[in-house]
Amino acid sequence: MLGVAMSKVMTMGEAISANVEDGAFLFIGGYICRTPFAAIHELIRQGKKDLTITRSNAADDFDMLIGAGCVKRFIATFLSLGLYGLARCYRRSIEQGIPHKIELEEYTNLSLPMMLMAGSMGMPFIPVKDMVGTDLLKVKSFMGDDKYKVIDSPFDGTPTLLVPALKPDVAIIHVQQADEEGNAQMWGIGGDCKVGANAAAKVIVSAERIVGRDVVGKDPSRTIVPSMKVAAVVEEPFGSHPGYTPGFYDVDLNFGYLYQQASGTVEGFGEFLEEWVFGVEDRTAYTQHFIERFGYARFRELQAEFDYGYPVSYSY
Amino acid sequence: MSEQETYIKPELMACCGAREISDGDVVIVGTGFPAMSANIAKHTHAPNAVMMQESGVLDARPKRPALSVGDPCLNPGAAMVGGLIDVMGMFLQGGWVDVGFLSGSQVDRYGNINTTVIGDYDAPTSRLPGSGGANPIGALAKKVLIIALHDTRRLAEQVDFMTTPGYMDGPGARERWGLPGGTGPRAIITNKAVLRFDEETKEAYLATFHPGHTVEEIVENTPWDLKVSPDVRETEPPTTEELRVIREVLDPTRMIAIYLKRGYV
Repeated sequence: MLGVAMSKVMTMGEAISANVEDGAFLFIGGYICRTPFAAIHELIRQGKKDLTITRSNAADDFDMLIGAGCVKRFIATFLSLGLYGLARCYRRSIEQGIPHKIELEEYTNLSLPMMLMAGSMGMPFIPVKDMVGTDLLKVKSFMGDDKYKVIDSPFDGTPTLLVPALKPDVAIIHVQQADEEGNAQMWGIGGDCKVGANAAAKVIVSAERIVGRDVVGKDPSRTIVPSMKVAAVVEEPFGSHPGYTPGFYDVDLNFGYLYQQASGTVEGFGEFLEEWVFGVEDRTAYTQHFIERFGYARFRELQAEFDYGYPVSYSY
Repeated sequence: MSEQETYIKPELMACCGAREISDGDVVIVGTGFPAMSANIAKHTHAPNAVMMQESGVLDARPKRPALSVGDPCLNPGAAMVGGLIDVMGMFLQGGWVDVGFLSGSQVDRYGNINTTVIGDYDAPTSRLPGSGGANPIGALAKKVLIIALHDTRRLAEQVDFMTTPGYMDGPGARERWGLPGGTGPRAIITNKAVLRFDEETKEAYLATFHPGHTVEEIVENTPWDLKVSPDVRETEPPTTEELRVIREVLDPTRMIAIYLKRGYV
């Protein structure tokens, strides 16, 4: 007799308050693709403080957390608004100390995913071939001399750069679907989501839809995090807007422009938070507000067309 | 006036990039110029070139121009969609990438690139996005092509912060740091010229000047003592076929024209 599945389904408010403490080290997945924006807004709403945040290629979501004053430290590779240029809150933090100057430890889109992969596999560190000879090795912040080490390879004597494993306290990811226990399934551009989630001590899974365990079992190769690592499952349709989720909705460039314009000043950014974060209680209210503000047609326009592939068979 | 005479500078620059790609090359691209260049090459002389995006995509078949390396249009139709570990780890660090395209706020005479800060690191005038995939691409791709605006602010004798390695401080530096042999920047493609790197000194020199520009103007707008190739000549304008591919196949809505506003004139 198999055990009865234990549901970990809860609201985002419950998931964040139960699992994210002030000062926590968070991996936040996404790559424009599947940004866990519902969780980002909840972190801000709950006034989380002194967070250390990481992921490769950060964007508007990290800018927002920094602008809202939630972040103390950022293990970074990159942060911009993409098409809309430099990230305004990030610049204000680093250049002017508004709301405060965050501490940065800088790596690259090769080394950081490798550090997360090492963390996910219980390795203490990992050799990488980039960064050598550049100023990225000259700048060290809160990690100090543990940012990296250069050794002579014990195999052939060549100078080898080692970077430490990262083990976040909590990973927050957004995926297409998960079951109630937390088996999380994703498709499309992955970024560092799989290694980042698996490096963490526990995972909050935000999903477009919750499906049965039997649906997961029809295509188990898509599971990137198994339920044993998952602490909370939150059903959040439209949960990565203004980012996108493949097969569900497109990236919202108009909203990206709205954020760029708003975040250009401290006042504008404050008004943005009032309207889109503090002014709505959760993602459902956010989506409702989006439709009221911009019309259902624009909401509908973002929705993906369906273009299914051939179903896969795992039968024998 | 024939179509060939009415091309815009970003189209010429995209063609300069395309001409550096050989058939069969594996190319890691960002958005904008790099994707356009690789696509022009694929539709003309290099049909077997393969493109990948660092986010995890290989051989995408987008139905609209991708606006980021994470753009949703890169997903359907691709040969493979994985993640950073796949592309940056298995393919780039694994030694499979022939061509990488990079751009930067500052590029120096050794092809080093700054995308981190303008000014002092601890109290910068301008905080820029950071390395992202640039450092590993600059370190590990066999041929690196650099896109830059040609003025004495964007080009520098020495970058404020070396985010991405070119030839670092000159001959032998990449080898000393253990970077793979035969890698490094091949050309800096600017809005005025194509610069290449001297085999001996590893310093960028003037190879070709774009139509409408002069050697004197380019030397004056380059902040180091720019050497001029004895074979210096005018850059070949886009061919009729290259322009047809850009305008009819790749970019019918002329999105490339946004680069005019960004100073690529």
